[in-house]
Amino acid sequence: MSDTEDHRYDNYDQEGDERHEEIEEEIENDDEPPRRKLYDEDEDDEEEDEEEEEEEQTGRKGKKRAKHRHKRDRAARFLDIEAEVSDEDDEEEDDEEYGADGFIETGGAEDDDSSRRHHARLARRQMEEEEKSPEQIARDLNQRYGGRAAARYTGDMNEIPQRLLMPSVHDASLWQVRVKPGREREIVFSLMRKSIDLEYTARPLQILSAFQRDSLPGMIYVEARSSQQVSQACNGLVGVYPSRGIHLVPIEEMASLLQIKKQDTTVTPGTWVRIRRGQYAGDLAQVVDITESGEEVGLKFIPRIDLTPRDDGVDKKRKKAVGMRPPQRLFNFEEVVKVYGRNYVSKRGPAFVFQGDTFKDGFIEKDFKISALILEDVNPTLDEITQFSRRQDGLEDSMVDLSIIAEASRKAAISVLQPGDHIEVFEGEQSGVHGVVEEISQDVVTISPIGVELEGQKIELPARSVRKRFKPGDHVKVMTGKNADETGLVVSVTDNVVTFLSDMSMQEVSVFSKDLREAAEVGSGTNVVGDYELHDLVQLDLQTVGVIFKTERDSFRVLDQNGQVRLVQPHQISMRRDSNRAIATDSEGHELRVNDNMKEVDGEGRKGRVLHIHQSFYAFLHNRDITENGGVFVTRARSLVSLAPKSNPLKLAPGADLSKMNPAMQTQGGMVGSGMGRGPRDRHIGLNVLVIKGPYKGYQGTIKDTNGQIARVELNTGNKLISIEKAKLHRRVPSSNKTEPLDSFRGGNFNNGSMGPPSGPPNGNRVSNPYAAAGGRTPGWGGGRTPNPYANSSQTPAWNSSSRTPNPYAGSATPAWNASSRTPNPYAGGQTPAWNSSSRTPNPYTNNGGATPGRSWGGATPGRSAWDSGSGWKSPDRPAWGNDPWNAPTPAAAATPAAAPTPAAYTTAPTPGGYPYSGAMSAPTPGVPSTPGVIDYDTAIRQPYNPPEDWLLEEIIAPHQTKLKVQIHGTTYASYLDGAYEGRIATVVGTTRVRDNFDQTAFLRFVNDGEERSILAKYVAPVLPTNTDEAALVLTGKRKGEMVRVRQKPDAQDSFEMVVVESMGTAGAAYWECQKDHLCACVS
Amino acid sequence: MTALKDSADRVLSCTSAYFEGMIAGIDPENSWVQRWQRTSKYARGMYAIRVKGRVPEDVESELESRGIKYRPRDLSAED
Repeated sequence: MSDTEDHRYDNYDQEGDERHEEIEEEIENDDEPPRRKLYDEDEDDEEEDEEEEEEEQTGRKGKKRAKHRHKRDRAARFLDIEAEVSDEDDEEEDDEEYGADGFIETGGAEDDDSSRRHHARLARRQMEEEEKSPEQIARDLNQRYGGRAAARYTGDMNEIPQRLLMPSVHDASLWQVRVKPGREREIVFSLMRKSIDLEYTARPLQILSAFQRDSLPGMIYVEARSSQQVSQACNGLVGVYPSRGIHLVPIEEMASLLQIKKQDTTVTPGTWVRIRRGQYAGDLAQVVDITESGEEVGLKFIPRIDLTPRDDGVDKKRKKAVGMRPPQRLFNFEEVVKVYGRNYVSKRGPAFVFQGDTFKDGFIEKDFKISALILEDVNPTLDEITQFSRRQDGLEDSMVDLSIIAEASRKAAISVLQPGDHIEVFEGEQSGVHGVVEEISQDVVTISPIGVELEGQKIELPARSVRKRFKPGDHVKVMTGKNADETGLVVSVTDNVVTFLSDMSMQEVSVFSKDLREAAEVGSGTNVVGDYELHDLVQLDLQTVGVIFKTERDSFRVLDQNGQVRLVQPHQISMRRDSNRAIATDSEGHELRVNDNMKEVDGEGRKGRVLHIHQSFYAFLHNRDITENGGVFVTRARSLVSLAPKSNPLKLAPGADLSKMNPAMQTQGGMVGSGMGRGPRDRHIGLNVLVIKGPYKGYQGTIKDTNGQIARVELNTGNKLISIEKAKLHRRVPSSNKTEPLDSFRGGNFNNGSMGPPSGPPNGNRVSNPYAAAGGRTPGWGGGRTPNPYANSSQTPAWNSSSRTPNPYAGSATPAWNASSRTPNPYAGGQTPAWNSSSRTPNPYTNNGGATPGRSWGGATPGRSAWDSGSGWKSPDRPAWGNDPWNAPTPAAAATPAAAPTPAAYTTAPTPGGYPYSGAMSAPTPGVPSTPGVIDYDTAIRQPYNPPEDWLLEEIIAPHQTKLKVQIHGTTYASYLDGAYEGRIATVVGTTRVRDNFDQTAFLRFVNDGEERSILAKYVAPVLPTNTDEAALVLTGKRKGEMVRVRQKPDAQDSFEMVVVESMGTAGAAYWECQKDHLCACVS
Repeated sequence: MTALKDSADRVLSCTSAYFEGMIAGIDPENSWVQRWQRTSKYARGMYAIRVKGRVPEDVESELESRGIKYRPRDLSAED
């Protein structure tokens, strides 16, 4: 009977289910004799009828009893055929189902007679059935169940494991529909209403259901047989975007859509949560109680009461807008009464009521909606928890109740286990066992225990009952939290709190063991966060400065001048202050400077080294022995006395104190003494400038303020202040109509031919760069004092007024030589600290210390002993030029022509003396050859040759350029034109030279498709010749610009092999060897 | 039977605003979604996918006494 088979197939799940119930049946049938009896009674085919009836009666609770029986009967049919089934389960599921029905339908009278009547009818039917022929039965069945497969087994669904309810191909599909986020639920309701509305119309909706999940915003799911039905249903609903696609949900994903559940966030009293928003956003709170519905919880947390309220409640709104929230502080009745007055605070039992909130034991107790709380990833820190366990009076710190946090941290601990971790089992049967994690699968870890009797076995354990194990003496590293990256030696272990001695601060740090790993390395933790460093003096707001005494992962602890400790994010710091030159007066009227060792005369008599002086009044001192605030404390300068006896510090012999040698200090001392930062800090301030780059390009304005490389420019038009990088500014030269880079201006100022001491170090970035400021202390610096025999136009050795020579200080961030306009220099404007190799001629440029901020070698380099004798420079004697390793720190040596004092040295081509070391020089300097004629290539060590960016436009090459074969190179990295042309071969159609500071372009025709377009010249590279008899152009060297023919097949892999070439044309048929990459192949 | 109607108390105690996900059950008998949710025998209407909390114990035991097993809807039960 094919239809039965079909039926079986369809309901395979059902069978499976029943089979496994078979066993239960054996056990259970004793318990239920009455049922058994019923069971035996109606065991025949006739139950099919009953099933039908059942279905007719679904939902009518009056028939409940009868229904059960029939249910069982239906099951019995299967028992006969396949297996025995426990009716118990069936009964349960029926109950449930019907219970639910009743729940919904509410009411309905009990019909006591119905079951009896039903019974009678059944008996009759049974008789009829028995008389039927099998064919007849088959026909009946067919008729009865045709096209009803889907509904067939619903009655049993309730007890079928859900995994067996997985959707099959026979079920309607789910379609994902995009909707307006936030309106999902509304739309699902709309669909429901719409379907009811249209139910009896000509075109009812054909969708079966629709649903929405909160965790899947912006989409709803509609169950239907086709996407067309879905779009029909969604048609006309506002907020549905069927145009964005109606996507079929794969069958295997259907169930998971309904199974999604948020991580179970059960809230129990004692749980730690965080407050999501409002004044207490981010604050840790502890759950005190929970309302029955579970929607609201009572929290206990540390209040933030504004103890300095402005005037009145009128101000309240504004204050909020300002966004300064008062610090966390336990409620103190006296304090609050003092500020707000007694009337505002009332006492109720053990609690106080203030501004509508209840305060108990110093904590505020308040009800919150669960939705306003963060329940996951709360990660309370030890610090926070300590605050909670502190008594209100603040006198004694009770020990941290570890059990409070243990639970909180345990959950997280599971996720941080890794294979190889040493763990110990702290609960359960295996408690006390320790071992190494072998394997982790979800909540189960497999460990191989280390111990006597268990050695060699593997144990599986629930992850939450193990914890990482450390023992005193282990060297550990903190993986997460605010102590992240600290390392140290474990000194004690208490449950899951490990205390270790930090390698960095030498202080004891307690962390959860879950956050630790064993590590060999020693703290790589850095004291730098963002641009700020430990012990920096930073400006917090207009009135407040502070010293960073602790850096955390992405924040600082700052001690401000009033002694308050603040937690500050880098972005809250407006700038770094520099107090290196600040001077204050100590209690004895002596001068007090940064780095002096001082002692307090009053108060605690703390000693320390002066870190910073603020406004000549506050001094920040540091003493390692003080544990509080990382050893940093603030005091008044007036209450300090020097530890070392000082005579009159102003009369110190010059030379005794290097800082005194610094002309900058001497000339600016007075000003600094009166308060740092009062005078113009940057001579750029007030300049008339022109913006040369960026969105404001072309605008003119005046520099109002500078901060490092950023200048605040007031635009002449629009009355607007903008912040812009100095590099994007050019100074307007008032006399002519020209502009010049900002920093060159300093040169003018500097190079006035005056014989007096320079007005300041020629250092463009003194303000911005802390090192530059420190440069004042660099013994090597101090041009004014150094007798320099070579200074011919000014006292400043480093300076030269030649207009042709670029400014060595140009681009204060770039201690590179600028290129003169004459010589194409690949390093022009480069980031490389380049050194000027120049020649034997004494070269004042060598004194480039100022241009090299913070490099100690800057001062040392110029020391040619021959010229600087007795000047106190620390220059090593340099007996010979060539093999001296002095170019080690200068990765590039650029041959700069036309050094001013020695005009002849470079303007003519090769200086003879230049050759002997040109080879050695060029080794680290691939760019050297770009200077025509300086290097003798034949003698130079062979190096791969990289043509300069604008090789194509060079005078000698340009006439030949249309013959050249070139390829596009370097665009991928620069993502120029998305690198689409990278590697393509082209011929040059033409080039036009544009002004020097613009990128040159070449107009190319690509070989393979004939496309023509212009490409930046710097991405155009020569194609190397590959065949004999190929024509090529010599790009560099003595024979630059000559056409040659390759006579030897270039077959080596390297680009600098030597190939034999034959000169063509007028140069005569000379054969010579040429380095391959000095050639560019020509179009045949 | 739970006498929800006209009994504000009962409504309060037997309902929750803490639910997630809505199903518009349009054709419960044929819908896989409803079958999966085990509501295919229920009336047409809107059903929550997940409901936090249970009905009060007395209601639950009352249901029990009528042979109805209460099924929590918080998806916590492994089935």
